[in-house]
Amino acid sequence: MFTKPSRKPLGLLAAAASLVLVASACAESDRDASGTDEGEPFIFAGAGEITSLDPFLANDGETFRYARQVIEPLLDHESGGTEIVGGLAEDWEQSEDGTEWTFHLREDVVFHDGDELDAEAVCANYDRWYNLTGEFQNANNSYYWQAIFGGFAENENDSMPESRYAGCEAVDETTAVIEVTEYSSVLPGGFSLASFGILSPSTLEAIEDEEITGGDGDFTLPDYTSDASVIAGTGPFSVEEWDQDQNSVTMERFDDYHGEPAGFQTMILRAIPDENARLQALEAGDIHGYDLVAPADVGQLEESGFQVPTRDVFNVLYLAYQQESHEALADIEVREALSHAVNRQRIVDTILPEGSEVATQFHPDTLDGWSEDVRTIDHDPDKAREMLADAGHEDLEVEFCYPAEVTRPYMPAPRDIFDVIVDDLQEAGVSVQETSYEWTEYTSQTENGNCSLYLLGWTGDYNDAYNFIGTWFSSHNDAWGMDNQDLFDDMSEVSSNPDEAERVAGYQDLNEQVMEELPGLPLSSSPPSIAFAPEVDPPNVSPLTQEIFAEASWK
Amino acid sequence: MLRFIVRRLLQLIPTLLGLSILLFVWLQRLPGGPENALLPDNAPPEQREALRESLGLDEPFTVQYFSFLGRILQGDLGASIHTGRPVLEEFLTRFPATFELAVTAIVIAVAAGLPLGYLAARRRGGALDFAAVGGSLLGICTPVFFLAFLLKVGLAEQLGLFPSAFRLSPAVNRTDITGFFVLDGLMTREWDVVWDALLHLALPGLALASIPLAVITRMTRASVLEVMGEDYVRTANAKGLHRTTVRTRHVLRNALLPVVTAVGLLSGQLFAGAVLTESVFAFPGIGSFIYEATHGRDYPVLTGFILLIAAMYVVINLLVDISYSLLDPRVRAQ
Repeated sequence: MFTKPSRKPLGLLAAAASLVLVASACAESDRDASGTDEGEPFIFAGAGEITSLDPFLANDGETFRYARQVIEPLLDHESGGTEIVGGLAEDWEQSEDGTEWTFHLREDVVFHDGDELDAEAVCANYDRWYNLTGEFQNANNSYYWQAIFGGFAENENDSMPESRYAGCEAVDETTAVIEVTEYSSVLPGGFSLASFGILSPSTLEAIEDEEITGGDGDFTLPDYTSDASVIAGTGPFSVEEWDQDQNSVTMERFDDYHGEPAGFQTMILRAIPDENARLQALEAGDIHGYDLVAPADVGQLEESGFQVPTRDVFNVLYLAYQQESHEALADIEVREALSHAVNRQRIVDTILPEGSEVATQFHPDTLDGWSEDVRTIDHDPDKAREMLADAGHEDLEVEFCYPAEVTRPYMPAPRDIFDVIVDDLQEAGVSVQETSYEWTEYTSQTENGNCSLYLLGWTGDYNDAYNFIGTWFSSHNDAWGMDNQDLFDDMSEVSSNPDEAERVAGYQDLNEQVMEELPGLPLSSSPPSIAFAPEVDPPNVSPLTQEIFAEASWK
Repeated sequence: MLRFIVRRLLQLIPTLLGLSILLFVWLQRLPGGPENALLPDNAPPEQREALRESLGLDEPFTVQYFSFLGRILQGDLGASIHTGRPVLEEFLTRFPATFELAVTAIVIAVAAGLPLGYLAARRRGGALDFAAVGGSLLGICTPVFFLAFLLKVGLAEQLGLFPSAFRLSPAVNRTDITGFFVLDGLMTREWDVVWDALLHLALPGLALASIPLAVITRMTRASVLEVMGEDYVRTANAKGLHRTTVRTRHVLRNALLPVVTAVGLLSGQLFAGAVLTESVFAFPGIGSFIYEATHGRDYPVLTGFILLIAAMYVVINLLVDISYSLLDPRVRAQ
């Protein structure tokens, strides 16, 4: 029997679809209507969630991005540059031996909770950090304190070095003197780190008894680290909420800020770990800016009217030669040959973003201590083949590792860079055994000396060459397998010289020595790209990726 | 029924115990460690080693496992290595997002899959049947992340019909009661919250629904075809029962039995499937958190979340079995 098909289900579907379309259009028009309103929140996406509202406990860029807007340290970096300038301290001086640092604080600076900034407040912060105990001394919870000042008042781990911090004295209301036991080149740069942002006296009082609880690998951060109502700094924004349901931190303009008031009334930091998802969110208008733009997306974004300002470079990517993992790599002639084989300019021209440059040494030229006199290594595959033959390694076979499924600010496309280098090495007659690891394993494998050739790099924390070359070449370690005691001794001597001019000259000499030793080949310095929507007047972009978003506003 | 429920819940214990051992073995085999994700790229080896020690990762496998088991027995799943917050708190913070997403996906799948499958069976060999069978095949074959990407580019970026990321627009203010945005909006009558949350759920929900929708459509179609050929349906028709009665009471009710089982199993799987979908849409649920925890080697989060998801899976299956017995009197009789 033939029955006429019912139209009802189709009709219902059509009606539902129409409803969704109409309603969506309404929502869309809402979104269009907003965007450049004065009170409209500025939404910026980073690659990860922040880890704590107290930046002292953090060592990740996303937490520092939030902290830079809210909690100011004693010193800062010039807007859009790397020179250290005054922060909460208007100016500062160091004693001749570099053990006494006198900070002259700005006047009339108030915290978000109404407290006034004075030298007592500065000393209270530094003394608190120095006297932390228990799990606060865990490397993950006080990384930068340990990197800059070593240990604590009472070290709870025998392997921890004695603290370089000797005390802080409030000489008068606006003068704080911080003493250290010995000079180290990590100062004054260390005073500019976001980890050492100054919290208000009321905040310190409120968190006085807060502890990291747990043990045996089971640590719980204190409640105040996620409670925005407790945290008060002096920055252009105050933190209003950390909504962990939505991975977002909301900040409001602080009207009593001591500098230029923020251009946005509200700023929201959101976490979008996936690179493509960040791009699509910007294109769809769900965010107004994001960091770590893939180089391949820069052209597309600019063509679509988005802004991708170029940062100055402050990082270095290198190809490491682990000298103990492969007999041939212990031979300087082989290392030189491999270096001649690699076409670094091709990497810069075809893979890295605009503004990238070939690195001639193990830190960028924006850093004091960069030398013009390091030896240069040209791309010359014929010479590479010749040198390998002379060294008796014309059939060299070597393992080459690269990190999979990751991008770093200094290495935006690891696989592409790897492919170019493999191509170059093969052209010079080198057989390459490819190995890739996921990032956490990669760092472990390279650090333990299990990769003969590998790609790695670093973005500087502050303007001091030791932050780059000192961390790699101050002693023998498995990552490089290099054993050059003269170089290590020189590094130690230079980094502990309190005379800045002499120290800079010493770093120049060290850079030349390192390039003679050639523990690896510096490949490139490249600016990690940052993107903004057309309606945003962006802030000065920072080579240290430390943008102050108070400088930005709606057009 | 009570004995049945208790028995099923008791089965959870060996299941979770076995799973915890498997998880621990897997995590031991997983290369790299959290110290590499937690510390900066140029952190010295001594600090990495000190961190491993402080996290108890230098202990032998058995010590780590029994320490974990001891904590579990006290109801403590530990704390995230990355965020320093209790794992249970992290789970409960993110659970509402994934639950809403999973419910959206299953509602879409059931609401579209059941009628599609039923109509396809009724018009076997017709255009609708062809479209339903072909479409469901396409749905099963298309990787979820790819579909998610297409939906995002087409409907969010190009047409601007839906948001491309997050759970709620920043301009929308909500009152937090339960963490379930739609429910909170309904409870407080904040209709803008309800609407905005639904719009944010639409695309990830649709992407996540693709496989369940295809499965439900195919299962419903096959099941209805099978039941329509049964003697009792022929008898009911011959008796002169009203066509609607035959279709609903005799055909649909019996055809739904295997579909309900499938819906239950698919619902459980949605929590695992949400990992990719949530990452693509920056949807802050348990899936995207697991994704990040895997990259960061956050062992407590991985073990805690997977055990909790497994427990949920068992409970969902229990609910399916209970609903099965309500639909099929023969099961009740057993």
